[in-house]
Amino acid sequence: MAIFSHPMFIAFVVSVLVIAAIPGICSYLIFAERKIAAWVQDRIGPNRVGPWGLFQPIADGLKFLFKEQVVPNHVNKVIYFLAPAIAVLTTLLAFAVVPFGSTNTQNPEEFQWMIAPGVDIGILFIFAVGSLAVYAIILGGWASNNKYSFLGALRSSAQVISYEIPLGMSILGVVLLTGSLNLERIIEHQAQGFFHWNVWYQPMAFLIFWLAALAETNRLPFDLPECEQELIGGFHTEYSAMKFGMFFLGEYTHMITVSFLLSILFLGGWHFPGLTTLGPNTAGSVALKFIVLFGKMSLFILLIMMIRWTLPRFRFDQLMGLAWKVLIPLALVNLVAAMFVKHYDASPWWLTLVNVGLFFVPAWWASGPIGSMRRPVREVGVGAAARV
Amino acid sequence: MDSEMQSFLPILVYFIVVVGFAGASLGISHWIAPKKPTQVKDMPYESGMDPIGDARQHFDVKFYLIAILFLIFEIELLFLYPWAVSAYQAGGLPEVFRGPAFWGVLLFLALLTIGYVYEWRKGGFKWR
Repeated sequence: MAIFSHPMFIAFVVSVLVIAAIPGICSYLIFAERKIAAWVQDRIGPNRVGPWGLFQPIADGLKFLFKEQVVPNHVNKVIYFLAPAIAVLTTLLAFAVVPFGSTNTQNPEEFQWMIAPGVDIGILFIFAVGSLAVYAIILGGWASNNKYSFLGALRSSAQVISYEIPLGMSILGVVLLTGSLNLERIIEHQAQGFFHWNVWYQPMAFLIFWLAALAETNRLPFDLPECEQELIGGFHTEYSAMKFGMFFLGEYTHMITVSFLLSILFLGGWHFPGLTTLGPNTAGSVALKFIVLFGKMSLFILLIMMIRWTLPRFRFDQLMGLAWKVLIPLALVNLVAAMFVKHYDASPWWLTLVNVGLFFVPAWWASGPIGSMRRPVREVGVGAAARV
Repeated sequence: MDSEMQSFLPILVYFIVVVGFAGASLGISHWIAPKKPTQVKDMPYESGMDPIGDARQHFDVKFYLIAILFLIFEIELLFLYPWAVSAYQAGGLPEVFRGPAFWGVLLFLALLTIGYVYEWRKGGFKWR
């Protein structure tokens, strides 16, 4: 029976389980999103298929399969089919190093709740694979040979690469304090206590990461690539049936990964005050850790959905300005502060102080006369040339 | 194969499963779904109007500039990651080098900040 305990066999089983679970979770997330949308707008939402509309996701999934596949004549066939596959591939692949339950780096023999335990470049892998997702968008938009798709793809690529920088920079502070890119180690570092969670020391980095992650997943208020009112569907205008569903699956998987990352990097992963003393490896503690991590993850997903129905969409120049003029300098200051704290072995609460200070600087700036971003950038008339 | 590389093997297994999943969902849906093309369905969708001109037109040079800026800052990040991981770890940078590395990284960040400020003053982040 050696084959059943072989690490590759375990990896295979876990992979298949994850691949089976994620589309299911995603389709129910879409259901949840529709329900939330309905409640926010004082509607009822999907309620015809099954009790309270609970079978709606299954009906939707079947519809993805059985609806007509329109493959227009004017598309580049190979790239057109490749794009949705890449969208699913990259977002699912990024999930490989995300611990979704209890992990223990001290004891590699015990079962680790992730697909590839012990990969030391954890976050770097997620960013590397996750940033490939932009290819899906730009290839899809290009291959569609449609003006809406093309504009959406262009906007999207500019947006995604711009927000990649604050995304990567905001976690450098966390990496510096932890000294590891491995997500399991980052959890263990924070699991020492409630006040070891990174969110206490770097609330600003947490916020920057969250905003950048929202932009990376193309969620509102950053859904410029697919804003329905202007671009119909953006890069997936010409996609139908399952290929459209695959773009959707990619987006929701990305959302799940990002929510996991938020809870792992900043909110202590499976750690929760009072729940650590259950014993190292009993079934109860494993289940508890699982529930805690899933609870945090679901909280973030719900918040992301609430944000969608609360905030209006940015204008494109505001979107780029937010990334380049606001998030990058803030992340840089946070990084330098983290460097000083680590080098001079100061109390990490100094970092909190700097971070809270960072909240006030942009607030003061945005409300002041000099850098207000509310004014349109384009200036016409005589004064425009003089001011440049 | 050393253990460092061995930890990536599950990712390979996972990769194969994911490729299989993506390929299967594309293939099966392509096989099952009905296809009844008409002339109108095959047209590029432009809100019901007949499309005018090619979709692949010239676009703003700003997109290129953003891509170039992205390269600079992303490579900056790539240089910082190894340092951030190893600088204060046992088995990482030796104690003697921590000071010089710290000031070196500060200098590196300062140089990039100069470039950043220059770019800002030049109007590189202005979207027009």
